[in-house]
Amino acid sequence: MNRYRWLALPIAAAALAVVPWFTSDTIVQYGINALLVATLAQAWNIIGGFSGYPSFGNSVFYGLGTYGTAIAMAQLHWSFGSGLVFGAVLGVACALLFGIPILRLRGPYFAIATLGLAAVMSAITATVEIAGKNIGLILPLFRGDTLFYELSLILLVAATGTVAWIARSRFGAGLVAIREDEDAAQVMGINTTTYKVAALTVAALFSALAGGIHAYWITFIDPASAFDPSLNVRMVIMTLFGGPGTVLGPVLGALILSAVSEVLASQATGVASLFYGIVIVAAVLLMPKGLLDLVQGFRDSGWRYFVDNVRRYRI
Amino acid sequence: MQLFGQILVNGILLGGLYGLMGLGMGLVWGVLKIVNLAHGALIMLGGYALYYLYTKAGIDPFLGLPLAMVAMFVLGYVLQTALLNLIVRSAQLNTLLLTFGLDVVFVYMAQLLFSADFRTINPPYAGKNVTISGVVVPYAQFGAFLVALVLAGLLFLVLDKTRTGRAIRATAQNLIAARLYGVNPKRIYAITFGTGAALAGAAGGLYGIVSQITPYIGVTLTAKSFVIAILGGLDKPLGVIGGGLVLGIAEAMAALYLDPTYTDIISFGLLVLVLVARPAQLLGRA
Amino acid sequence: MTEPLFEVRGLTKRFRGLTAVSNVTFRVAAREIVGLIGPNGAGKTTIISLISGTLVPTAGDIVFEGRHIERLPAYRRARLGIGRTFQVMKPFPGLSVLENVTVGALFGTGGGERNRTRAEERAREWLKFTGLERRMDQRADALGGPDRKRLEFAKALAMNPKLLLLDEVMAGLTHVEVDEVVELIKKIREKGVTILVIEHVMKAIRRLADRLLVLHHGQQIAEGRTDEVLRDPRVVEAYLGKRRQ
Repeated sequence: MNRYRWLALPIAAAALAVVPWFTSDTIVQYGINALLVATLAQAWNIIGGFSGYPSFGNSVFYGLGTYGTAIAMAQLHWSFGSGLVFGAVLGVACALLFGIPILRLRGPYFAIATLGLAAVMSAITATVEIAGKNIGLILPLFRGDTLFYELSLILLVAATGTVAWIARSRFGAGLVAIREDEDAAQVMGINTTTYKVAALTVAALFSALAGGIHAYWITFIDPASAFDPSLNVRMVIMTLFGGPGTVLGPVLGALILSAVSEVLASQATGVASLFYGIVIVAAVLLMPKGLLDLVQGFRDSGWRYFVDNVRRYRI
Repeated sequence: MQLFGQILVNGILLGGLYGLMGLGMGLVWGVLKIVNLAHGALIMLGGYALYYLYTKAGIDPFLGLPLAMVAMFVLGYVLQTALLNLIVRSAQLNTLLLTFGLDVVFVYMAQLLFSADFRTINPPYAGKNVTISGVVVPYAQFGAFLVALVLAGLLFLVLDKTRTGRAIRATAQNLIAARLYGVNPKRIYAITFGTGAALAGAAGGLYGIVSQITPYIGVTLTAKSFVIAILGGLDKPLGVIGGGLVLGIAEAMAALYLDPTYTDIISFGLLVLVLVARPAQLLGRA
Repeated sequence: MTEPLFEVRGLTKRFRGLTAVSNVTFRVAAREIVGLIGPNGAGKTTIISLISGTLVPTAGDIVFEGRHIERLPAYRRARLGIGRTFQVMKPFPGLSVLENVTVGALFGTGGGERNRTRAEERAREWLKFTGLERRMDQRADALGGPDRKRLEFAKALAMNPKLLLLDEVMAGLTHVEVDEVVELIKKIREKGVTILVIEHVMKAIRRLADRLLVLHHGQQIAEGRTDEVLRDPRVVEAYLGKRRQ
């Protein structure tokens, strides 16, 4: 069975690709959101899951991608393709500029710095003239949900392919070593700074591209929606739920939780977010290695899997 | 010059409150080695607790404060016992993620229960003030400042003089040694987290008197509390109040000399500056 | 003495007023085993951290194969061929034993083996060498004490180091296990590795070290051939004297 496992991915991707021709507009629109947020989760997985740096600021890269694309298209009248590239450049530049100082910080220092960045980014954008200050920007209207759906799917496949490469590469082994023990990683010859910055940069690239696609699809953006900090909540929880540091976990987590939250969101605003919070708490306590590990562990030891996880680190 | 004096007073009054926020964060961090990302959410909950004590039960906010603190202490004690004690020994990544999850839970629970509207605790004396040589000192703000100082002093005394306080400090220094002397770490951790929550609650209540509360005020307050705790030194309650004053004055100055919308950006700049300036080496801790 | 593999001159480290290591100078020739001994708090681990790059010296030179390395970051030193173990062992807890050692083979001297499959093969050989083969698929944090030490060894060895810095690898082991580790270290030397070893177990250090360097309160109080140093009255007074009472 293992011999054919690599086939599962292209088959799943192909199945997802034909969805727009068999379903309704609502499903396709839901699909675009789900695929984009899965891309964000996969991007978070690189820095949070592999390197173990809990970034609560990846929404900034998404927002910069959004704004880069919007500025290029609405203000400079560039094409969508150039806009995407411009947005990606902004996101990557931010990761390099901001990443080099803050990735020297560890654990809580890093977490708080990213939290702070995410909290002020919309305020900063609201002061920028070319970004439309706090009013926002309107992009040229383009109707074509199927196109956006396929673009989002391509992006997710690219992100997942990248993560699959990372998981098998020397680079990925270095990131995992950093996650497990950074001091030990360093004395074993790993250039930890370069590795971490590279991880954040790749994460920023995919997040920014997701933002760019979303901007053109939604056609109207403002600081509050582009730099929505609750996006960070979703990236973290989807990765955590699916399996941080795995290839398919974040995608699985994102697709499942998007569906659940879609149902919950129709009940009342905030219910979906509350649910996310509860899932994070439960996941950290009961299944810290995510859904994929849970399936395996549950098969091996049944309910004891949860008991063991809860008992492992208690005082 | 008079304007400068006014800004300085505003900054100091706000800074005392910030200091109180930093105290709870620093206490939990120093003893449990947990950076509580839900700290800001606890502040927010304390604000709502006091708001409802005042609006529904008609209790004067300054008298209601101890009640709100007790409620928050209980919440903190239960959280630590039921959840956080399960993962205190795990990797820091997990404690960060868990408290992040708690933050999300509290924020959206508050949104569902209390709505997203702005709330202010508005006792009759709010808006009244005294003018001392041209500088306006609002009563409510001044009262909040005094309460913050008193609580910091109390915390200092409790940690220094009482049996439980000494057990807390011993646990912070060396958990295993403290255990050998008969300290029950589960209980000490719960009391510590409860105290941190109570201090956060008090800060939130006072914040509700001098400013506005919504379910979303927490995130920036978490970040600010963290910076204040670093500035002040974790186990020095009076130092933390000092850290709060630094941030309060810096923000007030920024609001005066720059556009008011820049205050958040300034405090974020300060945050990154403090973080990148290698706090571990400044304070000699890992 | 032949041209030294590495050399430390006037090495000094101060932590906010406290001088942990003061003006230490010594040379180590290729394929030598040098023991670093002294009472607790003498600055032994600090010296290893200064050489491996975990700490930055306040003053002094560290010359490795004729090249000044005292300002190089730790990872660059690892690539030059300096491997170390930690007294408080630092396995990658969530990874399997094999994965732990593979990291050493993937990085380490000269940047290591870039191909992951070949690195894994190399890791397997080191696991065989250190007697950890049967634990290969276990998680590192599930290992018991002696196996953890072996893992610490295997990780450092997989880096293919020219100089190996061993920080108290025998503490807490039984007599039999100490003998095993002594043999292991000798075997490592036979492969051409130079070794600087911190050790409290005197029986082991006597059998292992060609030369000794004795530290006391950060000062170097004796240096020379093992048997001579152990007879030195200053050493006996500062260090061994206390233990014999």
